[in-house]
Amino acid sequence: MNGGLEGVRLRGLHKRYGATVALAGLDLDIRQGEVLGIAGPNGAGKSTLVRIIAGEERPDDGELLFNGHPWTPAADWRRVAVVHQEPQLFPNLTVAENILVGREGTTNGWPKLGSADAKVMKAFGIDRFADKPLADCTLATQQRAEIARAVARDAQVFLFDEPNSALTDEESDELFREMHNLAAGGRIVLLVTHRLGDLFEHARRVAVIRDGRVRAILEGDALTEDGIAEQLVVGRDGETNVKTSAGIDHGGGSLVSVNDWSHTAAFHDIALDAKPGEIVALVGVEGSGARELLRSFAGLESCSGAIKIAGETGDRAQRLSAYVPATRMLSLYSNFSVAENLLVRLGSPEIAGVGMALKRKRMRQLANEATRRFLIRAHSVSQGIRSLSGGNQQKVAIAQALNCAPRLLLLEEPTRGVDIHSKREIYRLLRDYVSADNTVIMFCTEVLEVYEAADRAHVVVDGGLSRQIVVGDYPHVEALATEISRMERHARDDGGARRRP
Amino acid sequence: MTSADSRDPAPVETSRPSLSSTGQATFDLGLRMGGLVLAIVLVALLMFLLKPKSFNIDVGISVLRAMSSVAIMSLGLTLVIVVGEIDLSFGAMYGLGANSLAVMWILLGIPIYAALPLAIGIGALVGLFNGALVTWLRIPSFIVTLGTYNLLYGVSLWITKTSTFNPVYPPPGSEIPTAQLDFFTGLTASFGAHPISLEVVWMLGLALAIGFLLHRTLFGFRLMAIGGNPVAAQLARLPVTRYKILAFVICSMLAAAAGILDFSFIQTTQPNIGLSFTFPVFAAVIIGGASLSGGKGTVIGAMSGALLLAELQQGLALLSPGPHVQQLFLGFVTIGAVALDLALTNIRKRRAA
Repeated sequence: MNGGLEGVRLRGLHKRYGATVALAGLDLDIRQGEVLGIAGPNGAGKSTLVRIIAGEERPDDGELLFNGHPWTPAADWRRVAVVHQEPQLFPNLTVAENILVGREGTTNGWPKLGSADAKVMKAFGIDRFADKPLADCTLATQQRAEIARAVARDAQVFLFDEPNSALTDEESDELFREMHNLAAGGRIVLLVTHRLGDLFEHARRVAVIRDGRVRAILEGDALTEDGIAEQLVVGRDGETNVKTSAGIDHGGGSLVSVNDWSHTAAFHDIALDAKPGEIVALVGVEGSGARELLRSFAGLESCSGAIKIAGETGDRAQRLSAYVPATRMLSLYSNFSVAENLLVRLGSPEIAGVGMALKRKRMRQLANEATRRFLIRAHSVSQGIRSLSGGNQQKVAIAQALNCAPRLLLLEEPTRGVDIHSKREIYRLLRDYVSADNTVIMFCTEVLEVYEAADRAHVVVDGGLSRQIVVGDYPHVEALATEISRMERHARDDGGARRRP
Repeated sequence: MTSADSRDPAPVETSRPSLSSTGQATFDLGLRMGGLVLAIVLVALLMFLLKPKSFNIDVGISVLRAMSSVAIMSLGLTLVIVVGEIDLSFGAMYGLGANSLAVMWILLGIPIYAALPLAIGIGALVGLFNGALVTWLRIPSFIVTLGTYNLLYGVSLWITKTSTFNPVYPPPGSEIPTAQLDFFTGLTASFGAHPISLEVVWMLGLALAIGFLLHRTLFGFRLMAIGGNPVAAQLARLPVTRYKILAFVICSMLAAAAGILDFSFIQTTQPNIGLSFTFPVFAAVIIGGASLSGGKGTVIGAMSGALLLAELQQGLALLSPGPHVQQLFLGFVTIGAVALDLALTNIRKRRAA
């Protein structure tokens, strides 16, 4: 391999955001002509690495080498192309104009497509859409246009960042074919994804990142789905496990029961029961339908079928549930203080009395109670919400939902981007909450989270629900990871068999 | 970060010595209001030093009267801006409020006691129209209210047949009973040793009412929440649609009221009145610290903004350096206030980082 000079070398990359260490001396070699897979749990530093290679961030320390020469992607951005799930293009321009924009040359008129560009477009099979506005093209075509645009400007490094979560199987097959073509043409290709099957199938080597460093590189026989799954959770066994024997079996009827529950696109024929005292996890990658399923329980997706919460249906059932979205941007109010954020879902009579007048004393009291009960660390409840740490903000988001006393709490990735200490506290809070005869259903992308927080789990693949997994049956997190990855694989194979008769 | 198992519940964050511990919002507001009050005092002092003889208590009172209609409209606009929307139509609504009252009362002979609530009711309907289009049809409020601005002005021209009205000199064939005329002019009658119009009292009363509504009720609390993060508010099942519509309704009703009060004070109305208030009212609200992105704004700020503008207007009129100076000042003050705001925010952020 030419003395390791060809390709990109990363040496000792460090990056911190405030008190959070995102990269802690990451070393990685990316060779020309191969597809290198990147895997890692949320918060491991994966997206920071992507941003650094894409030139959107600079490392605090460490160096990047391109073919042996020092390299600054932020200045040399033309060499890098990032293919996101959401194409970063100009929807109002035509496909051809999208290929051109930024390289219009010296013309003063409306730029025209050169023959070299036309050839690139033909190679990617998008020449017939040349004059179509990009917004009218399918997502797959838009992604092709994005890749073609990068090829046309002679980019050398291609970063595929969760590229196929919104594509159909056929479309993602084609996308991966283009990816392999790029690699075969001598370019450097990285594939970042949560889908272990895709990593196994398309990457020659897979680097597993944990805690800001490359912890393992799997290749050859070691590269299996189960192998990656285990590496993702290794060494983190039970760090924050707060499970007690309570909650596993309360006997009695279920608090939530869902039957024949179908969505137009995301999922179909779901049946699910959850008892009081239980934390149930829905595990799935982006695009599997798991997220939509959770949102549908909060009444945020239009679905057919029957859902019952504590014996109620319809609006009254919805009022018994509370939903906390994955990003705090969708649950917190940046113009509000901690106290106001905690109380914003309450109404009359909790915080307002005659003539809707706010009970200010009562509000302060409620807010103080909530900060104590939910272990929120703030100097004062009148502090602005943005001055809290990520973990404490997440506690506020959950406390805000719990303040309106729901029976069913619906959480999306409840500890995403949260430090380990807060994570443990959040799991403890959820446990306290369900032990008062309530239920939590949460959407997880991480096996570790399932292992640490949930009693039961279901895997969602292609909009179908697997049989249940009782988390307590697994002696350690690796075993659970293997089982979940096996179930995903089987469901996919079955589904594939069904779809391609 | 080490994974050392620290079980002690001591705060993870170290306490910062500076401002961040004492309620940043309050501090910002204090700074903002302090600056605004300082500007108001400085302008007054400057005017007094430049022309000590022309400035007396009566001039001060005339400033209060002159600001009142702008201030009343800025109260309504504050609600709309806080909830994250824009209303461009209140100026035209001011005109339609006065003109529809004039037509109903003077031309059609409807007693003032009925015509007045009807005119305010028209304001409510216009607000409902704006709010419904914005929320139900999801047309951006800028576009909806740009449309209603023209619609309302058109209606004013139409119903008045482009003529002016004065209840003291009604057109031939109409007659205004003295009692009704007295009631109407009484709405803004002047009282006291240094005559001060009741319009100022209306303004203060409405400011108190809207201030209470925005800062002390659940309605205001949720208005702030919706403006701060509309998606979160929707997900938390707050009544987003209803509250947005209500904000537009109150805004239009207040604009109608402002038009009627000015009509009562000036005693004439023309088809095109109010239109030129559109931007000064926006300026007052922005100078008062409201953010066009929603979730931020105070009644005291909007009132102070209106006061500063009226002061500049009256003062410059007395100093008479020419009409251009007033416009130049309005421009400088609006941009300057927001630029200062951003600069202070940036300084603070850099210090916090």
